[in-house]
Amino acid sequence: MKTLLRSEELSCPSCVAKIESALNGVPGVQKAKVHFNTGRIEVEHDQVDQDELLQAVRNAGYEVRVSAF
Amino acid sequence: MIGTIRTWWQNPRRRREALTVTSGLLIILALVAGYLLRQQPWRDALMALAALIAGADIALRAWNSLRHRHVSIELLVTIAAAGALVIGEYWEAAAVTFLFLFGAYLEARTLRRTRQVLQDLLEMAPDTAVVIRDGEQVEVMAFEVHQGETVLVKPGSKVPVDGRVIGGRSVVDESAITGEPLPEEKEAGASVYAGTINQAGLLKVEATGVGADTTLARIIRRVEEAQEAQAPTQRFIERFARWYTPFIILLSIGAYLLTRDIALALTLLVIGCPGALVISTPISIVAGIGRAAQRGILIKGGEYLEKAGKITALALDKTGTLTAGRPRVREVVALQPEPAVVAGSPPPAASGSWSGAEAEVLAWAAVAEAGSEHPLAGAILEDAAYAHLPEAHTFDTFTGRGVRAETPEHTIAVGTAAWLADELDVFVPARAYRHLERMKEEGQTAVIVARDGVALGIVGIADQVRASARQMIAGLRETGLEEIVMLTGDDRRTALAIAAEVGLRPEEVRAEQLPEQKLDAIRALQAKGHVVAMVGDGINDAPALAAADIGIAMGAAGTDIAIETADIALMADDLLKLPEAIRLSGLTLRNIRQNVAIALATVAFLLGGVLLGEVHMAGGMLVHEASVMVVILNGMRLLRV
Repeated sequence: MKTLLRSEELSCPSCVAKIESALNGVPGVQKAKVHFNTGRIEVEHDQVDQDELLQAVRNAGYEVRVSAF
Repeated sequence: MIGTIRTWWQNPRRRREALTVTSGLLIILALVAGYLLRQQPWRDALMALAALIAGADIALRAWNSLRHRHVSIELLVTIAAAGALVIGEYWEAAAVTFLFLFGAYLEARTLRRTRQVLQDLLEMAPDTAVVIRDGEQVEVMAFEVHQGETVLVKPGSKVPVDGRVIGGRSVVDESAITGEPLPEEKEAGASVYAGTINQAGLLKVEATGVGADTTLARIIRRVEEAQEAQAPTQRFIERFARWYTPFIILLSIGAYLLTRDIALALTLLVIGCPGALVISTPISIVAGIGRAAQRGILIKGGEYLEKAGKITALALDKTGTLTAGRPRVREVVALQPEPAVVAGSPPPAASGSWSGAEAEVLAWAAVAEAGSEHPLAGAILEDAAYAHLPEAHTFDTFTGRGVRAETPEHTIAVGTAAWLADELDVFVPARAYRHLERMKEEGQTAVIVARDGVALGIVGIADQVRASARQMIAGLRETGLEEIVMLTGDDRRTALAIAAEVGLRPEEVRAEQLPEQKLDAIRALQAKGHVVAMVGDGINDAPALAAADIGIAMGAAGTDIAIETADIALMADDLLKLPEAIRLSGLTLRNIRQNVAIALATVAFLLGGVLLGEVHMAGGMLVHEASVMVVILNGMRLLRV
């Protein structure tokens, strides 16, 4: 499964590694990719609650929302 | 109530905003206490509190990245602020943490406006569509429309799918897709795109592309991928930054060991954040590509944007760019003084811009060409009014020479002068040869029209030079290109005539080129040290487009191959987008360079200042955050060019 998130809070590319590892730490997440330039976050995962993904990013300190495309 | 506060608190952005404001207010109170009330202990306590409140969020982020084995900028700031509190520099600690939070807030806010350009495109896509199912109008979600279904688009509403008009007529504002401000007229058979706006009548559209399979969705995907693809400069800077942060920590420790000056060491940590540098390139590229997309210019990525900014030579394929690629009748010469009206038929109405005698020549030519498939025949038939003339019952085609046809009363032949004179015994007067020579000189293909052995006149046919071609060439010259070359398979005379018409010099023309020779022409330019862009329609120019440093496709709306493969795709079939694309690329490249220069100068200035003891923590942080803002604002200028 793939979920697309968007954050408008990325103000410095060092956020990228932080959010990626936070998402990769969620059980069931296979791969997370954060695109700094657009604020787009691609998450590939098994059955994982969307809220868990959102919470992981928020815990890393960034506001985030789910996006259709 | 508590629940509201909790959700509010859990939103990192709102929480950070609250912390920033609180810490800012505490700093003001501390300043009041210190300077007006002369209460030093109060001042220190309030400053420390401000530092703790603002620092808490920074420390939390620092801890989160440390847990994931990542040395972040927040860690540098946390160490610096904690150190400042320990050595009793409360003002420095408060100022550094507050400025860091406030700076990040301003930066995120400004960046949001840059990223917004794409958001606007996303919002172009309408949510619902009205489809006809079982004879009834039903409103469904736009992505639920099935391919082949009939969609009704009411006046004033957005087209929800890609499709083909099957009924109704209207004008449609396609600026979302093509960047063209003028609306397009649409009637049965025309293509429409999701996200465009129906301005006048009701349109019935057969859906051909839905949801993610629309041109708009492809553009959005393409633009985002383009913005995310890292330009070489950005890759370099990010590699640099990865080593830079640990290097600053070492430098700071080294400075402390050498000077035993803890304040100096902490200040080095603060100014060591590579903020302006790492953001210098991405901000320009996101803004540049976003702006281009708004104007109907799709650029594949930062790498291509940087390269396009360095273009010094441009090769144009003539057909489809400078000319319309559709032959039209350009000139008719009547060789007989009076219209030879056929007895009993009405005199021919002058069609288009042709006089009576000229229209007569065209009409007879059309009678003979009516049975021909030749492209030149199409041009003649399109312009001639010949319904009043008898139909021919036999047609003979002589390849490379002409056609001959017979009506009940006449024999008509259209073809080359040599063929008519030598084989059909047509008398071709000397002045006809002079006309033929001149018309050839002007790049026209000229044929003689003869009836019953008498030359009635000459028809000159040529590919139409596009209206804005001359303006485009002038615009290209203004962008500072060193060399412009026109490539064409046409013979040299035709090519030169067209070149003269659009404002190209003879030495800029490469005529009679086969596809592989076009490739050689590109290679030759590259061998001269040029960065070469090639503009073409993508089919017979494929080798040349691939060999060029930048391949540019024109009129790409609706043609997926062009959107996917060209380095730069111009959505509208508007020639003037070409100089605009090159200009925008150049501006973006310059913007990147300015930003890198600003960032490096700031770092050098701060490092020097700290080592000389002139810059302290709060001031260093202020300059640092200011430089980040300057870089972002500079990048945003691209949104307005």
